[in-house]
Amino acid sequence: MNFTNMMDYHHFPIYAVMVLFLGAFVTMVCGTRPSKNPNNPAGLRAWIALCATGVSLLLLVLLIKPVMLGGETIAYWMGSRGIAGGYAIGIALEVDALSLFFALLIATAVFVSAIYSIRYMVHDDCVPQYYVLYCLLAGGVLGLVLSGDIFNMFVMVEILTFAAVALTAFRTRVYGALEAAFKYLVVGCMGSSAILTGVILLYAQYHTLNLAQLASLIPGSMNNATKLAFAFLYIGFSTKAFIVPFHPLAADAHGAAPASISVLISGVLTKSGIYGIIRLTWFLFQTMELGAMQFMLVFIGSVSMFVCVTMALAQHDFKRLLAYHSISQIGYVLTAVGLSTALGVSAGLYHAMNHTLFKGLLFLAAGAVLHETGTTDLGKLGGLSKKMPHTTVLFLIGAFSISGVPPFNGFASKWLIYQAAYQRAVETNNIGFLAAAVVALVTSTLTLASFVKVTQSVFFGQLPPEYENVKEVPFGMRLAMGILAVLCVLTGIFPNTVMSVLTEPAARAVASVGEYIMAMGFKATVPTPEVSFAHVGVWTPVNWLLILCIALLALTVAALAGRYDQVSASQGENVETKYQLFYGGEQNVYSQVGGGDLFWGFKHNWRHYFDFMHDLHSGVVNDYALWAVVALALAIMYMMIAL
Amino acid sequence: MTSIFLTGLQYLGCILIFPGFLFCFFCGLLLTGIDRKLVARMQKRVGPPILQPFYDFFKLLGKETIVPAAASRTTFLLAPLVGLAALVVIQLFIPIYGFSAFSGMADIIVILYLLLIPALAAILGAAASGSPYAGVGLSREMVTIISCELPLVLVLLAVAKVVGNALGTGLCFSMTEIARYQVENGSLITKLSMIPAAVAFAMVIPGETGSHPFDTAEAETEICEGMHAEYSGAPLAVFKLSHAVKILTLTSLFVALFFGGIGTGIIAVDGVIVFALCVIATALFISFVHAVTARLKIEQVFKYYWTAVSGLALVSLVLAWYGL
Repeated sequence: MNFTNMMDYHHFPIYAVMVLFLGAFVTMVCGTRPSKNPNNPAGLRAWIALCATGVSLLLLVLLIKPVMLGGETIAYWMGSRGIAGGYAIGIALEVDALSLFFALLIATAVFVSAIYSIRYMVHDDCVPQYYVLYCLLAGGVLGLVLSGDIFNMFVMVEILTFAAVALTAFRTRVYGALEAAFKYLVVGCMGSSAILTGVILLYAQYHTLNLAQLASLIPGSMNNATKLAFAFLYIGFSTKAFIVPFHPLAADAHGAAPASISVLISGVLTKSGIYGIIRLTWFLFQTMELGAMQFMLVFIGSVSMFVCVTMALAQHDFKRLLAYHSISQIGYVLTAVGLSTALGVSAGLYHAMNHTLFKGLLFLAAGAVLHETGTTDLGKLGGLSKKMPHTTVLFLIGAFSISGVPPFNGFASKWLIYQAAYQRAVETNNIGFLAAAVVALVTSTLTLASFVKVTQSVFFGQLPPEYENVKEVPFGMRLAMGILAVLCVLTGIFPNTVMSVLTEPAARAVASVGEYIMAMGFKATVPTPEVSFAHVGVWTPVNWLLILCIALLALTVAALAGRYDQVSASQGENVETKYQLFYGGEQNVYSQVGGGDLFWGFKHNWRHYFDFMHDLHSGVVNDYALWAVVALALAIMYMMIAL
Repeated sequence: MTSIFLTGLQYLGCILIFPGFLFCFFCGLLLTGIDRKLVARMQKRVGPPILQPFYDFFKLLGKETIVPAAASRTTFLLAPLVGLAALVVIQLFIPIYGFSAFSGMADIIVILYLLLIPALAAILGAAASGSPYAGVGLSREMVTIISCELPLVLVLLAVAKVVGNALGTGLCFSMTEIARYQVENGSLITKLSMIPAAVAFAMVIPGETGSHPFDTAEAETEICEGMHAEYSGAPLAVFKLSHAVKILTLTSLFVALFFGGIGTGIIAVDGVIVFALCVIATALFISFVHAVTARLKIEQVFKYYWTAVSGLALVSLVLAWYGL
């Protein structure tokens, strides 16, 4: 094989996966000698991981042109095997716009998190394990979304689950790490086993594991065994996406894992679950035309977004709060995908992308706070904005994005989701979709409330005396957050570019199952439908931003012409009385409204609901395993009756 | 080249003069003055002169601005300016009958979310001051926002449905389209299904602007103006102005949504008509309510909006859904 042949872009998907697994191997072998640089004991390992993830990202970016813009579907057989006797033999990779879309998200998150890890993991004593598992996790998720056969999907699910469990547990001295990992292991393994069972059931009937061939065979011949397989696979991928009822696992895992891994668990692992569900419902079983299937996805999506946002409101730990928000946002994605329109899928994928960006940013900001202060307890922190101004600004960008404040990216995608839901409601005259739109709109405000709480309790308010010596985090960590923040802003103010380059090709790929089947060389009976991304709303962020800037400029000029900047502030150590905070005549003492109690007025009215939720989330792994079993049973019953 | 320059100048005029800053400044403060006078008269007091808010504004500009030692200075000083600028930009998107300064840029859902920015700016400024009173105030403000959000969402969805039905597109979010529909078919308030929505929106106005009985976030007597506890001088003046402009924004949004289509086509006359309607709306929904009620507790505010007001809005949405 000559070099030109090797550089053919059809090989890029497998290279992108291979380079990560290779990275995992090389980090184990290299860097065993302690580094001489005391500032960076991880030394070589960190750079190997960075290179591996960087190369992987680059290879995938090069695929944008042929796959996203050119509309090609890359079918790639490993070891030059192929179809024999009408059946797919051997391992295949199949990359359509949907796979590439998810792969790009994953590679970006993994790369940025690797930049962050260099400085973040410096003082950790488990660095060798960290980088091996890091590369394995990244490779596993990437392999999952690029895989062309369902058994390899299962293999990759196993790899990523075990890497994620190990990354939750590996810092055994961190409080709760082992417990969280154990919970995750138990329920995660139930999920993996469910996927395996589903795969076996499908193989027994159709004698093939190739996704494209299954997609050409299944829809015409749905029987009870197929439906059973569907239910198993659906539950399996649900556990990977942490959607209701598997949400409690995420909170524990995020709380215990390092921040750079939380980025991966939330931004990457959950995406693999969503990817699996899209592949199942749209491709393998092609059930999205059915009202029952739409109902199921929209219902579970809406429940996930609402339940998890209220769970987040009740949290008083920074990372656990973010974990629940993560699932709440995944609920948006699932709802949008369940709408079963091209606009809905496009909006859902857009939101999935934004979720990776802003949630990554927020977890990294939480990591920065943890790195400097040693705690993520909202009740203990406060006033960090003066000590960590850059982190504060970056966190605020992430917080505005996730809360859907214009013009950040969360708004652009949520706005499309509202419209898609409402449009769907009008088209089908189904009030259920309208209810989903209202839930989505209200959830967005509750998300904002929750992040106001974090802002007030961590970055503003009063600085507790023990954090007087806190410093800003190192440049490497700020750089990683900065990249994500810039992406959050750019994808927010140029929604049309994002849609035409990334989400609309992916949504078109979701709608055209026939092409996916034919690219692998199988006969497809499904015609490729015409899809439309038309929507009625109007929103031009660039113009709005321009007007706002002019208005702000005019106002600032007017303010400076007045005496706005001539403020008097305290000088030196001795603070004069007039510069002290007003305490109604009481002595100046440290007082802060506790993070957990900030929204008493809201929680009081919902106390029965919150009590109920509190009792329900017992934190006992037996209960959560029971939930998984019940969910599986319900899913089987639902599939049997409704499909 | 000249035409581009002129267009630019025209847009700049829109932003700075009408319906931008200057218009907002005068009309907003005038509305507050009228409100204060009316409340005083209803309570058998003499009350301040109608121009009092102007005097207050300029007086505050001349006062010393104190930044507390515990505050984050940049956020503390920048928040009022961002809030005011964002509010004025919203005002540009609300059509005055046929005339809208910038059409085709933001629909009603976007406006709903743009309305969050001024509130968020106030919250961040309050948080940055470091005051515990401001902490309580911003918590209440946020709960008030959550309270008002549900009825507002339902009202806007109902309006979108009614206008969309008539236009044949099923739903319509564009502010310009809503204005045009009202020119052709008469004001939305004349539709049976829109009456509960209009009432619900009217009930949301005092909540959104934080006037009695929903002023828990400021509550001078308990938490010393809450979010503004540490503000003084020019930043406080800007906050007061923002509050005044917010009254104008919400009342003119109310007029644009429910009392559209009765303009003359001459901008100056239309502006006066809209302002007159805003004054009436302020008098009815803010001043009158203010004069006869006492402050609610924050959990009562939440309950009121999520039950009574949301219920009304929901009735409207259901009626609109079935094409009434």
